[in-house]
Amino acid sequence: MKKTGLLALIVVLAFTLVTAGCGGTTQKAAAPKDAVAADIKAIKDRGVLKAGVKVDVPKFGYKDPQNGKVEGFEIDLTKAIAKKILGDETKIDVQGVTAKTRGPLLDNGEVDMVIATFTITEERKQTYNFSDPYFIDGVGLLVKKASGISNLKGLDGKKIGVAQSATSKKAVQEEADKVGAKVTFLEFGTYPEIKAALDSGRVDAFSVDTAILFGYLDDSTTILSERFSPQQYGVATKKSNTALAKLVNDTLSDMKKSGELDKLIQKWGLK
Amino acid sequence: MSGPFAGFKWLALAQDWSVFAEGFLTTIIVSILGLALALALGVIFGVIGSAPSKICQLVNRCYVEFIQNTPLVIQVFFLYHGLPHLGIMLPVFSVGVLGVGFYHGAYIAEIIRAGIQAVPRGQMDAAQSQGFTFWSAMRYVIVPQAKRIVFPPMTNQAVSLIKNTSVMAMVAGGDLMYYADSWASTNLHYGPAYVVTGLLYLAICYPLAAYARRLERRMEVSL
Repeated sequence: MKKTGLLALIVVLAFTLVTAGCGGTTQKAAAPKDAVAADIKAIKDRGVLKAGVKVDVPKFGYKDPQNGKVEGFEIDLTKAIAKKILGDETKIDVQGVTAKTRGPLLDNGEVDMVIATFTITEERKQTYNFSDPYFIDGVGLLVKKASGISNLKGLDGKKIGVAQSATSKKAVQEEADKVGAKVTFLEFGTYPEIKAALDSGRVDAFSVDTAILFGYLDDSTTILSERFSPQQYGVATKKSNTALAKLVNDTLSDMKKSGELDKLIQKWGLK
Repeated sequence: MSGPFAGFKWLALAQDWSVFAEGFLTTIIVSILGLALALALGVIFGVIGSAPSKICQLVNRCYVEFIQNTPLVIQVFFLYHGLPHLGIMLPVFSVGVLGVGFYHGAYIAEIIRAGIQAVPRGQMDAAQSQGFTFWSAMRYVIVPQAKRIVFPPMTNQAVSLIKNTSVMAMVAGGDLMYYADSWASTNLHYGPAYVVTGLLYLAICYPLAAYARRLERRMEVSL
């Protein structure tokens, strides 16, 4: 009895495999007509675009604690790209990433693309595909009002908190060298930790891209008027997914031409 | 070649080895000082915990239960972000030493208390009948015998302590893990960075663990 059961199972399995194989061949035969690249096809087959976004940066990608929805400028961009690939802007699956996790998540295929205030640098281009910039922002400094610091020069001998994997450290260092201010940097994993460090006096300034800083502005703090080294944000994709990178870039440049991108920037009050 | 372990990323790491060396040195110094503190606290609270006085036992329980039942991360966050609000600004280096020192001190206290209680009761009775006070019996009779029993688990605590210094990375502590995070997140070469960091921890922890195993084997023979 047992043996027959096993035999039946094997037969069923074999049958499934053969039919599945057949299905595959027919599909393959039909494929050349559309000539869809493997990376885009994978997204189409899945029926959903997986994107890594920020969930702690108001206006860009922020998870509203009231309703649990992630919203922002970069989420809208993700929707536009999903519409281009899948024809439906609601077919997105967004996942919160931090500066530290976005690289590994792209590499292991957990997300198709990362659109999370990701600054384009030459060094990073070696590892990932970056689209043309969709937003340009300067690095700013958030300080306590009580500290009386009014410019970068005032930060001479002080400590500045920056986020790991952020380009702000390099940007501020260069500017500080120019004005002759000696500063040291402390790196933290997330933005709220830097804010906590600013509150407790562990650091004298919180430095990151200005649009992000606005999310942490409160009664006791102020953003200095200086802006350093414009940071260009791009959409990152895995190095091997070249077709997807091209599609993303085309979508963005279309949006730029049609003025849709500017509309979105205005919608979120980023300019 | 691309991917997390591409060749050029390893070359970049080889060039920046001094970054990792600096963090490694901090990790070692914090580990040594933290271990010294943990041993001191462990011996004091371990002996207090096995004293007959109820108050002594209560003090031991308070310390051990409080430390063992809260995460090390929270304790370090409190030392780093919390104390400044109370007007105490400890340098991050001390935060690391105090953090792992107090945390492992509680575990070592329990090991020592167990070691003392493993010495047969008759030893204490015999010592006291010879005119030893409780504390001098402890010092000259009980602790020397307990020492042999507690050595192997103590070495394991040393290994855990070294690994736990990596929480300093969360408070910009300048230890090995912090520099690995910092370096890897700037250039995104996280593959080689964490492999090398893991190997460096292994290089200090494995010899200690092997030593503990040898001690354990010797114990079995001698008992």
